[in-house]
Amino acid sequence: MTLTEQLAARVADGIRHIGQVAILPGLHGHAYALCHFEDAGKAAGPDFGGLATHHGPDAGRDISIYAADGDFRFTKGRTDLVKGWVILLENAPDLRLALDHIYPAAVGLWLARERGDLQVENLRDKLNRQTGMYRYAGTISDEGAQALVQKVCGPAHACAKKILWRIDENTPLEDSEASRYDGIPSDAAPGKAIPLMCREACNHFVAECRKAAKAEFEAKQNTP
Amino acid sequence: MPIAPKPHAALLIVGHGSTENPDSSTPYFDHAAEVRKRGLFAEVHCCFWKEEPSMREAAYMIDAPEVYVVPDFISEGYFTQDVIPRELGLDGPTTTNHHGKTWHYCLPVGVHSSMTQLILRRAAEVAPGVDPAQTSLIITGHGTGMNKNSTKAIKDQARLIAESGAGYAAVLDAYMEEQPFVADWHKNAATPNVVVVPFFIADGLHSYQDIPVLLGIEKEVGAAASQREVFRHNPHHLHGKTLFYSSAIGTEPLMANVILDQVRDFDLKHLAALPA
Repeated sequence: MTLTEQLAARVADGIRHIGQVAILPGLHGHAYALCHFEDAGKAAGPDFGGLATHHGPDAGRDISIYAADGDFRFTKGRTDLVKGWVILLENAPDLRLALDHIYPAAVGLWLARERGDLQVENLRDKLNRQTGMYRYAGTISDEGAQALVQKVCGPAHACAKKILWRIDENTPLEDSEASRYDGIPSDAAPGKAIPLMCREACNHFVAECRKAAKAEFEAKQNTP
Repeated sequence: MPIAPKPHAALLIVGHGSTENPDSSTPYFDHAAEVRKRGLFAEVHCCFWKEEPSMREAAYMIDAPEVYVVPDFISEGYFTQDVIPRELGLDGPTTTNHHGKTWHYCLPVGVHSSMTQLILRRAAEVAPGVDPAQTSLIITGHGTGMNKNSTKAIKDQARLIAESGAGYAAVLDAYMEEQPFVADWHKNAATPNVVVVPFFIADGLHSYQDIPVLLGIEKEVGAAASQREVFRHNPHHLHGKTLFYSSAIGTEPLMANVILDQVRDFDLKHLAALPA
């Protein structure tokens, strides 16, 4: 089965959420509808409860570019997806495309992990291949990186992804809300949501590593 | 020449993207949507260096056993020769058995000869009715002392347009960070009219915010293109000349054709000679 066919089959079996998005098969005669999970009740009402109605998968990109405060969502796992919209889709390929716009590659990563095929990249490997101004990020200490996970990642810091990586092969993340998080920010029932996966540290985390590494270096310089 | 449909192949468009400017990735998605509409590939996807999906996530999105990778980049250089092959795990023009697929690595769009017609079209659109014989066409890029290839695509296009019979009094190249500098446009162009076409994929920081300041159109760096209420108005009268400034060449809808041209050229160069 293709990824799209697998997605359609899983939705038919009861998958209803991914990230902050509700997947609503058969809504008002449309093959699928997507909306913010907190708008699902409205979407089920007459005239989609007054939600702004979009047709086709490309709306998924437009909706996910900015947060409500106008901030650019360059990491798509952020928990500030705007509300007030519904996207109507007429077939499974369009469902997959719309979801790939809102949560890029998330469906494929989830299915790969279920198959046991997902290759995870640990933080040291990610940092060691940075170039230019980000090369310096690799000098961060393990302690600094562990602290950064708790300062940057997880729902407390507006990221909805489940972290799969370690600091390195032999150094798991320390236990914390961020490291325990399951990648499901909605109110989905168990087994009804596609978790968002973080298979490698994002560019935001790398940038934060660089800042923290610089602070560590300066602190050492200032130590008598 | 149109390419034959590839119902068993995916097209993967690779872009740079930005953590700061939301307009940076828009052209890539537009190009993907246009190619997708034509139904030539089983799948069309984008991936990025600075945005999501990352290049290393791209393989997980693709069903097709064969993937054509087209860098939606303007020149051959660090990204197309080092970063993209490393991130996607490519070891040559064709890489087999990687993520269970065969990957074909095409040249970047910016080095294709069909870019010439796009530049001429963009220049004519931005300065309608202006006599080319009284006009200098300046193609601008970033330029960097670190990689000579970064300016080669622009120098090639300037030469091709000068030889094309388009009739421009002069066709010049200019760069943000190396000579000849964009800021010297009025010294380097001898004609009363000057058309400047930014040789970038997106109307991002450089073409929409930095270069207008270097040209003297704006006093300071402005907001991102999509956040402007009013787009720039041509022409601008500066230094006794009439200046026309276009948006980045990569925002041209016909860029989808250039992506397909690179796929066709890859097949002609690398696959035509293979035994059936």
